[in-house]
Amino acid sequence: MKKASATRREFMRRTAGLSVAGAAAPWALNLAAISEAAAQTATDYKALVCVFLAGGNDFANTVIPFDASGYADYAAIRSTIATPQASLVGLNALNAPGGRQYALAPQLTTSPSTSVLALKSLADLFNNGKLGVMLNIGTLIRPTTKAQYTAKSVLLPPKLFSHNDQTSFWQSSRPEGATIGWGGSIMEVLASSGTSGNTNATFSCMSATGNSVFLAGGSTAQYQVSTNGAVAVAGIPRSSSTGTKLFNSAPAAAALKTLITAHSGTNLLENAHFAVTQRSVAAEEMMRTALTGTLATTFGSVDTTGKAIANSLADQLRIVARTIAARGALGVKRQVFFVSLGGFDLHDYLPQKHPLLLQQVNDAMSQFYAATVELGVQNQVTTFTASDFGRTAISNGDGSDHGWGSHHVVMGGAVKGRTLYGTPPVLANNGPDDVGQGRLLPTTSVDQLAATLATWFGVQATDLPLVVPSIGNYSLKNLGLLV
Amino acid sequence: MTALVSELIPELIPEFAPELDREFDASAVDAEPSLPASHAATATLIASAAAVLAACGGAGSDVGTLPSSATSASSQSSVTGNAAQSVPSAAPNAPATTPTTPTTSTSNSATVNTANGSGAADAPIDLPGAARFLAQSTFGASRAEIARTQQMGVTAWLDEQFAMPLGTSHVQWLTSKGHDNASLIFNSSAFDYTVWRAFLSSPDQLRQRVVYALTQILVVSIDGVNSAWKPFSVGNYLDVLAANAFGNFRTLLEQVTLTPAMGDYLNMRGNRKADPSTGRLPDENYARELMQLFTIGLTELNPDGTPRLVGGQPQDTYDQEDVTGLARLLTGWEYAVGYDGLPQQYIAPMFCYPARHETGASSFLTVSVPGGNDGPGALKLVLDGLFAHPNIGPFIGRQLIQRLVTSNPSPAYVGRVAAAFANNGAGVRGDMKALIRAVLTDVEARTVQTAPEAGKLVEPVLRFTQFARAFSVTSPSGAWKLGNLSDPATRLGQSPLHSPSVFNFYRPGFVPPNTAFASMGLVAPELQITSESSVAGYLNFMQTVINNIASINATDLVVDYSGLQSIAADANALAAEVELILAANRLGLTNRTLIRSALASMPIATVANLLDRVKAAILLTMATPEYLVLR
Repeated sequence: MKKASATRREFMRRTAGLSVAGAAAPWALNLAAISEAAAQTATDYKALVCVFLAGGNDFANTVIPFDASGYADYAAIRSTIATPQASLVGLNALNAPGGRQYALAPQLTTSPSTSVLALKSLADLFNNGKLGVMLNIGTLIRPTTKAQYTAKSVLLPPKLFSHNDQTSFWQSSRPEGATIGWGGSIMEVLASSGTSGNTNATFSCMSATGNSVFLAGGSTAQYQVSTNGAVAVAGIPRSSSTGTKLFNSAPAAAALKTLITAHSGTNLLENAHFAVTQRSVAAEEMMRTALTGTLATTFGSVDTTGKAIANSLADQLRIVARTIAARGALGVKRQVFFVSLGGFDLHDYLPQKHPLLLQQVNDAMSQFYAATVELGVQNQVTTFTASDFGRTAISNGDGSDHGWGSHHVVMGGAVKGRTLYGTPPVLANNGPDDVGQGRLLPTTSVDQLAATLATWFGVQATDLPLVVPSIGNYSLKNLGLLV
Repeated sequence: MTALVSELIPELIPEFAPELDREFDASAVDAEPSLPASHAATATLIASAAAVLAACGGAGSDVGTLPSSATSASSQSSVTGNAAQSVPSAAPNAPATTPTTPTTSTSNSATVNTANGSGAADAPIDLPGAARFLAQSTFGASRAEIARTQQMGVTAWLDEQFAMPLGTSHVQWLTSKGHDNASLIFNSSAFDYTVWRAFLSSPDQLRQRVVYALTQILVVSIDGVNSAWKPFSVGNYLDVLAANAFGNFRTLLEQVTLTPAMGDYLNMRGNRKADPSTGRLPDENYARELMQLFTIGLTELNPDGTPRLVGGQPQDTYDQEDVTGLARLLTGWEYAVGYDGLPQQYIAPMFCYPARHETGASSFLTVSVPGGNDGPGALKLVLDGLFAHPNIGPFIGRQLIQRLVTSNPSPAYVGRVAAAFANNGAGVRGDMKALIRAVLTDVEARTVQTAPEAGKLVEPVLRFTQFARAFSVTSPSGAWKLGNLSDPATRLGQSPLHSPSVFNFYRPGFVPPNTAFASMGLVAPELQITSESSVAGYLNFMQTVINNIASINATDLVVDYSGLQSIAADANALAAEVELILAANRLGLTNRTLIRSALASMPIATVANLLDRVKAAILLTMATPEYLVLR
């Protein structure tokens, strides 16, 4: 190996720091000791947003072949769960790889919820150059042919088709139990090279949907925010006032604050839980003062009669937008966000339920793009979809089963949109891309996407292996998605 | 699963129409064993169901499914009858002689002495020891129950619990309270009521606690069940767990498999054999999760739960071909009762339609099922094979330890528990009593552990139930109107049977990032649902509950602080009592002193003053890191 760069040495020190510190190390102090390095070179703002479609999105009914022979293959293999051709509107793509044309699902093409937006749907965003489609992307360790897969002659991601393991591998290039994801390690590399520009590491990696391995780095703790912002502990005095009482007692309130912000014990579980509580209290004070602005962009979904319906993804992307609006007050120049929508594991009822989920995705993402335009950061925020895995192209009656390769989208002003990236898969039983029941062997790797996004974010080429350990296995290290 | 999914499938899906199309598919109709006498009557039923559905805003589903009326219990071929009688040596590494398993366990309470480590239950315990034991084995205990248990000892308490009869079932309670009223067909609220009722008020606490543990291993989430009468469907699933919690795991596995709740949740209901004319293939969902989550897991295990390595590498237990093969064997199952608008459809064990079952030869793992098999027969061979697999004991045993005792049991502890699963001392495999006894009486369970990684983070549901049972929360009206507590920002971030997916609220292998756990090879499942939002939400929720439990929309619940009020004038006595009851005396000196001095500063002039002291003592104790980790 070449001589380690300064960034690499710092990255290793930071990611190893906690393990060396051992059992009794006060976690929070340790974190403080390795907070942001002095050289904060980033002056612009950039954010990455991962929209995770939990359960395994049905790619075939999301991005649908539109040319005659492509649709015929699709209709033949999907049988009863195919989307009718008459409901599709073809994308106005700049390219047609292999002569293939595509349409997005009808719910990604129109919506009753986004009528006031300039770009009302993911199809609008695509046709206006703000969104690209990545064809047949999935987890790999190195480029893999069907012959190699069949012969088992090349290393494959472990536990293919398993939800939890493939979710983990998508987010980290490691199976379940991984503690470093590529979103988190991108921030870790920037922090190690002193180039993140962040004056407060707390808000570098934020989740609006619970714990994700995607945001885990070596020392970069992810901050989990509720869709309404940070949750304050009601029973403790704020730093700005001392009047709070708990059960009519100021000393009791003070005691509660001490209990949850000061602790020195030896039990690892106590310390880990305590660290979260301590960070919760500290971050809430910052978030409360920073998140004061309001967005003009409206988030949420309505049904065809105009009645509001739940859209958790829109709620999450709204708090992401509000956080981006507060970037100055929060002291951040680089942020990675994680949001998710569940319910995609549609072994049954796919034709009924999948459209409802896609409608939520469409509305939330279109609204989020509009919010970034409102904030003037649309060229600095790149949003992409991800999922456990693709699904089988072949129907199991009224649904589809766990698969592998999938189609995804990347959205933002920096995206070279209106373009189909990658290789169109052949949808055919025992076809060249099929490893069984219409499970696609990916022709583009998540590793390549991760490296592409990391490069856009400011990670140097020499540091890419710190983010994507397998990137050396690919000759194409940048998918060219971004300006 | 590392990405916690906080959303649930939208319930607003009127999907009876496609179901109808499927059920009345011409090729299928001829093959059905029994058809509705009158399609017109069925159409009327479905139309009225649709009206109800529309009136309810479209909630619920499945109202048009299988309008067959003639499938009675007597016509179902029982796969339960002799299912567990013999265990084929189907799995790799199976012991040469496998103990047989009676359908109904008759194992006695003989102490399992399979290896060093058990028998610790016979040692006398002190009051904190009793409190600690009851925190592992119940949903929480009052001061009186702690004292009684200390007097009788662990073994006698376990014997008493094992002998307790089943209480009122969920189905019985729901019916008795009128939750079977036709207007409630798409209303799920009563499910939470009956679950909290059972967990908080049933005297058979050990059974209920084991049921709750099993719901986190053989997971069903009511939010992922698509049917009418969900309280009855998922309530029946809990009844099946309760009926088998002290029985045999083989029987439990089979009865759970055949519940409509599991059938709907993991799609075995409606799974049909391949149709070459459309290209349709069997649904693989239950086949995969039955192996991955419910029985053997992904990786071959040694008897102590550590991965079995070959050339230094872990070995996969199965591959995709095994899933595909197993899926074929699990085809043909449907509701046994046709749609009549009543809850029974979602209670009766599922029935296998021969015409929908794949009768061609199929195989998975080392199980080969010959051609011409029928659905119940195939299921028997499937479950026998999985039950005989050497992974099942350590795989299930380790998770039961994690649910009741500790997140990181030693391999030796797992090995002792797995050995009790393999053989209860009387030659029976899968005896749940032996398994539970091994978990709770092990020396690692019965001795306070002091290693840095010791113990488990007490999950939010158990913190709440412990409070409620410690201070005798009850429902004088009997309605138990306590709802879903899943919102992390304002409630507990967890509620029974409301997990976001089949991967439970958290994974048994969850490794919290940014902590020493990773480098030490340790896991901390409950930390997966611990966030900056949830820790604040928990404290706020408990403050509200402690102050006035009726204020959380649980208007009929009352609490009893009288025992604490009587000693509240003495701050030290109050603090000590609360610490014993809730935290088994495990607070550190710093926090103990902090709490006592805060309480001592509070006035005692009035009854209201004393009540404030009591409330503060409880909340402050429940906020300490020491309380939150049971070790």
